[in-house]
Amino acid sequence: MPDQPSATPDSAEPAIRTIGLTKHYSGGRHRPGRGLGPIRALNDVSLEVESGEIFGFLGPNGAGKSTMIRTLLGFLHATSGSARVLGMDVVRDSVALRGRVGYLPGGIALYGSLAGTASLDYYADLQQREPVKRTELAERLQLSSADLKRRVRDYSRGMRQKIGVIQALQHDPELAILDEPTEGLDPLMQLAFYEILEDLRAEGRTIFMSSHYLGEVERICNRVAIIRAGHLMAVQHVDELLARRKRRVSLLWRGTAPDLEGVPGLEDVVVSRDRITATLSGDVAPFIRAIASPSLVDLLIEPARLEDVFYEFYAGEDTGEGGAP
Amino acid sequence: MSWTVLRQSLYWQRSRLIAVGLVALAWGALIPTFYVTFQDLFEGLIEGGFPENLLNFGSGSLFTLGGTMTIGFEHPIGIGLVAIFAVGAAANAVAGEREAGTLEVLLSRPLSRRRFYASVGASVKIEAAIVLALMLAGQTASIIALGVQDEIEVAWIPMVWVMGLLLWAAFAAFSLAASVSFDRRGPAMALSLAYLGVNYFLEILGTFLPDLDWTQEYSLFHHFNPGEIVTGNLDPVDILIFAVAIILPIIWALVVFPRRDLAAPA
Repeated sequence: MPDQPSATPDSAEPAIRTIGLTKHYSGGRHRPGRGLGPIRALNDVSLEVESGEIFGFLGPNGAGKSTMIRTLLGFLHATSGSARVLGMDVVRDSVALRGRVGYLPGGIALYGSLAGTASLDYYADLQQREPVKRTELAERLQLSSADLKRRVRDYSRGMRQKIGVIQALQHDPELAILDEPTEGLDPLMQLAFYEILEDLRAEGRTIFMSSHYLGEVERICNRVAIIRAGHLMAVQHVDELLARRKRRVSLLWRGTAPDLEGVPGLEDVVVSRDRITATLSGDVAPFIRAIASPSLVDLLIEPARLEDVFYEFYAGEDTGEGGAP
Repeated sequence: MSWTVLRQSLYWQRSRLIAVGLVALAWGALIPTFYVTFQDLFEGLIEGGFPENLLNFGSGSLFTLGGTMTIGFEHPIGIGLVAIFAVGAAANAVAGEREAGTLEVLLSRPLSRRRFYASVGASVKIEAAIVLALMLAGQTASIIALGVQDEIEVAWIPMVWVMGLLLWAAFAAFSLAASVSFDRRGPAMALSLAYLGVNYFLEILGTFLPDLDWTQEYSLFHHFNPGEIVTGNLDPVDILIFAVAIILPIIWALVVFPRRDLAAPA
């Protein structure tokens, strides 16, 4: 009997919803002076990913990104809390939900003895869905039919990653869960991959991707969650996160320096000869009015970057928790 | 059961299965030839004072055709040929996929762990069944060619295959239980080989030390005796023992495997 329970999703539900999701491992790694203790890989993570968005899950290695993904897919059993994917419980309806999800594991391992096409056929058979997007994906990722006829063991790392992307998306899943999807892809292929994700979003598909490449998350994600040592630090729209951050400004000046006292949001002002550097948050208009003068030679306002936000969350002491085994 | 996984697992073993199957066929054919050719020599040795127990091997004996058939299945060569699949492939079936990192790509599909287990389990049992069938086919063909079929009840030969399959299904079930319990193939393989080795040791110990022949009762090999079967003496208790030895590891695997945390491969 096939493993396809008739779990019907609630279309009003978010694509992913976790409530207090916690995962602790009983055996811990050795820490100098602290002995062996439990690994708290996820701590009370509550999160919602809406249908049709590209959601970035950010954190450094060992922060709990893969643990979260593996719990959603039923590879790991939560210590407490609950999770629903496409309206289905990740424990009770695990098999059914995997029929509607595409998954790319981090550092994907493939069968070296199989040709690319045979690998994809095998995965498509197991998925029990037609690989309707395979040809298009192969073309966009520049995998020729000759490439696909070669054995996977002869592939470069980038080509393996392309097969990984195709196997995750070839059956046109409603939700794609991608763990470090651009790992090993060259810059051109990364661009092609971003376009694929944009198109999927336009078609109403949901993408949940983990990454430690902040640039790509900033570029393609609608919202991001930042996880640190198993704790969710922030969940916000990328634009909102950036809007709250400080821009770096740099002025090149000839003559008397302008009076920047009282400009709202301007901080860390450093004046050195004909150059002024500072940070600026909030509305930019008062600052522009303050510096408007023929003496202004050059002006550079660097946009806030996700990287700055990320580092801000990661500043300070390690909590001593987290870490996916 | 996933036919896709079963088909793929069999496909991966096809070359090995053909090679081992041909060797099993040849090994099977050699056994009756050995019996017919050296029977007089062995009797002469006994009359000359050679210890009779050293011409026996486990539950087999070189003085009867049935006993020689038993030796064919209990000889390290015969055991090794079937164990390649029933122990080696079985121990590797899940732990090997875990270690390589390929299991998570499979289990991200609508495929439960139990279905995967059942599929790879069916695969290794089919492979073992084919090797056993070829070994037995070699023996049968050789027995008929040598014209000694009157010394056994040929109609019972299929039952030898069935009992052999039960024996190796028990080893395969244990190896699969080990395989689902570890993330690396090394410990799973070591435990499976240890189980096979202990059973083998208990079976042959009595051959060399007759005072310890009681240990044979505790060996699974002792409960598969083709020499007894082909003379119509099949002990139903042997079937019961195999059933228990098959079912217990299966229960273990079906309980443990779905409950295990499959963390990211190292």
